[in-house]
Amino acid sequence: MIDLQGYGPRLLEGALVTIELALLSLLVSVILGLLTASAKMSRSWLAHRIATLYTTLIRGVPDLVLMMLFFFGGQIGINMATDWLYYQFDVDIFINIDEFVAGVATIGLIFGAYMGETFRGAFMAVDNGQIEAARAYGMSESLMFRRVRFPQMMRHALPGLSNNWMVLLKTTALVSVIGLTDMVRVAEEAAKATHEPFTFLIPVAVVYLVIASLSEWFFARLQKRYDVGFGGEECNN
Amino acid sequence: MAATPLPLEVINLKKRFGDNEVLKGLSLKAHKGDVISMIGASGSGKSTFLRCMNLLEQPNEGELIVHGESIDFKQTRRGREPANWRQVERIRAKLSMVFQSFNLWAHMTLLENVVEAPIHVLGKPKKEALEHGRALLDRVGLLERADYYPTQMSGGQQQRGAIARALAMEPEVMLFDEPTSALDPELVGDVLKVMRDLAEEGRTMIVVTHEMSFARDVSNQVIYLHQGVIEEAGAPAEVLENPQSDRLRQFLAPKF
Repeated sequence: MIDLQGYGPRLLEGALVTIELALLSLLVSVILGLLTASAKMSRSWLAHRIATLYTTLIRGVPDLVLMMLFFFGGQIGINMATDWLYYQFDVDIFINIDEFVAGVATIGLIFGAYMGETFRGAFMAVDNGQIEAARAYGMSESLMFRRVRFPQMMRHALPGLSNNWMVLLKTTALVSVIGLTDMVRVAEEAAKATHEPFTFLIPVAVVYLVIASLSEWFFARLQKRYDVGFGGEECNN
Repeated sequence: MAATPLPLEVINLKKRFGDNEVLKGLSLKAHKGDVISMIGASGSGKSTFLRCMNLLEQPNEGELIVHGESIDFKQTRRGREPANWRQVERIRAKLSMVFQSFNLWAHMTLLENVVEAPIHVLGKPKKEALEHGRALLDRVGLLERADYYPTQMSGGQQQRGAIARALAMEPEVMLFDEPTSALDPELVGDVLKVMRDLAEEGRTMIVVTHEMSFARDVSNQVIYLHQGVIEEAGAPAEVLENPQSDRLRQFLAPKF
């Protein structure tokens, strides 16, 4: 076995941080992505404009720059706001951005833009006749979304969704720059202290690989579930 | 006036797409048990007229009254729209539509398709809806296909399934939008037979069709549309056997 020289428990903690961070960011990005897609497809000019600005901005700036901007810039912004509150209203509060929350918010915000494009394409791929039938049978827009549009959209969204998730998972490694102790940061520290980079970086690589493989298996199952009724089994009348 | 309200009445309905007026003031009365066939060349506006009846298209002018309830409209920046979508949803649930391309929900089995709206729109208890759904599938000869997905069935089977889905709503009026036009010729007969049975049991039906034999033998009223106007209307014997206008004569003339 590899001798982790006492870093084992910290590496494990780091791995848990990575997983929590990735899953929560995924949740945020899916919600943001659905909102962005609906805004882009809506008839409202303003919603469309805001969503386009968001995706253009996020997709055009490197993730690392965005992360530092949000974290350091965000803290300065909050400090300015609380200073203003103090001078104007004598309200004395101090808010410190938590690294974990900042990480989830930033990664969620970044991938929300990519998810938005994925979902928009998937929604547009749903046959309009399916939507019309739902309307013709008296479904409200929200019922139609839940019962017809969403389940039919998912089979088109899943390939892109799974791709985004893989990239998101690896992007979590960037959070060490804002001081969050994830698995990569622990490994980096340990490698520097012991001068044995492979001892720590290889297990880290393996953990990412395991998560990625499990994800692939999971997404393949989901795809199968949402493909039900769409070909595969041929007409046999 | 009759004591019971008409299932469906349309008064002076107009529809424009941009500057192009496609429906130029159409009126129609469907009494209980009426089977009304709408015929006309493609582009005459017959499908658009049908789609205005359940508000899949928004008419620019005119009144729609379903079982005595008039649909409220309001003017917005985008033009005229229904004032209350809840009302529209309630009224749509009384007007089942059968589409040219079937439009059975592809991710649901046939039985799930049939019970979907009764359960989720009408709020019927699941057990009751399933029982009723199976009985309806039996009626259209598809009980053994209950657990098949639409892609696993032929066009004719899908359309008969779509008719079962329409019947499950226990509608005031059934709207058929060229129900046999997308079918292979040998599958048309089964679908027409089901529709004929429905007519015989007294269902109120409005059918956009190219099947002249159906219009002649099954319906009690035929409407001929030409360029957004009702050119001729009346009993099939009058309209089809004794057309007054040249255009209808031309339309009915045998084609090769």
